[in-house]
Amino acid sequence: MTNRTLDAYRVWAEVPLEVEPLYSVVIPAYNEEWRIVPTIGAIATHMSSLGEPWELIVADDGSTDTTAELVRDLELVNLRLLLAEQNGGKGSAVRRGVLQARGSVILFADADQSTPIEQFEALVAELENGYDVVVGSRAADGADVANKSLSRKVFSGGLSLLVKGLFRLPVSDTQCGFKMFTADAAERLFRRQVIDEFSFDLEILYLARKFGFRTTEVPVTWIDAPGSKVDAGKVAVEFLRDLAIIRWNDLRGRYGSDNHPRIDQR
Amino acid sequence: MDITQLPLPSEQSTASHAVELRLAGRFDAHEVDTFRAILGQILDGSGSGAATRVLVSLAEVEFIDSTALAELVRGMKHCRERDGDLILVSPSDPVRVILELTRLDLAFTIE
Repeated sequence: MTNRTLDAYRVWAEVPLEVEPLYSVVIPAYNEEWRIVPTIGAIATHMSSLGEPWELIVADDGSTDTTAELVRDLELVNLRLLLAEQNGGKGSAVRRGVLQARGSVILFADADQSTPIEQFEALVAELENGYDVVVGSRAADGADVANKSLSRKVFSGGLSLLVKGLFRLPVSDTQCGFKMFTADAAERLFRRQVIDEFSFDLEILYLARKFGFRTTEVPVTWIDAPGSKVDAGKVAVEFLRDLAIIRWNDLRGRYGSDNHPRIDQR
Repeated sequence: MDITQLPLPSEQSTASHAVELRLAGRFDAHEVDTFRAILGQILDGSGSGAATRVLVSLAEVEFIDSTALAELVRGMKHCRERDGDLILVSPSDPVRVILELTRLDLAFTIE
């Protein structure tokens, strides 16, 4: 008996694309040897089942473990592994991956599969509704969050209030590692990104608002994967610092201007 | 993740008592303690007698992480030490691909 999904996966795994991909999925990875292969397997299976040309990019961030070797040894022909000489921060890895992506739709997704890839289509639907940036959200009505630690709940709840108050962003969760962009938005936003650490998401969303890209959020299922590298206390301090840096960068004109038509956002 | 334990009809058992575990949902590090406890009870004979042939149905498992894979390997070794086996049954598409990418499809009996 044939299995369409497995057949599609095997074609994707073995036959190089002859057309430009419609979808690009970018996974930033730093010392993910314990988690990266199952995540690639889940993403490759689901994305192949959609029946559209797609590519996978793993942006290694100077891992000191065997992450890069493991990914390379998979020998998946439509997977590109990007290497960095040294660890530059998650933001730098995502930027390298996104700017190398060739798809019309670009998703970056965390290496721990904490937001299951099955929610890809829900974000695509919002791009088709005319949005340029669609954010997976753990805080939007309808989100399903499991195993989240108390410190992370307090942290993200506080961040949400702060960000909404200070930056007037149209999303309630800036930090979920599951975000989708049109190719045009990705190019214009990530070229201007200067923050390489945890708060790069916030900067990207700030820039999206500044340059009038239509942004929305989609409630997602999110499972706190064991082994998270997020130290809530340390990150909170960095986040507050980066809020100020983003405003300061903007005041100094570091982000420049953009000829994208401005859209009024609530 | 849901785990359902089913005793197999006698004609599906071979020389030893067999049990089927049906898993559903996400099988990850959060779930391995529960799985290990249930498997331990099966192998130690708590309840209806010890089993050495354990069928683990993965048809409804959406995702399996490295910790859960390691737990399956551990369970397989324990079963084989008792002249039995831990057999993976009907893995879902993502689980089958993950087993292939990790080469564990070569280590397990898959039905």
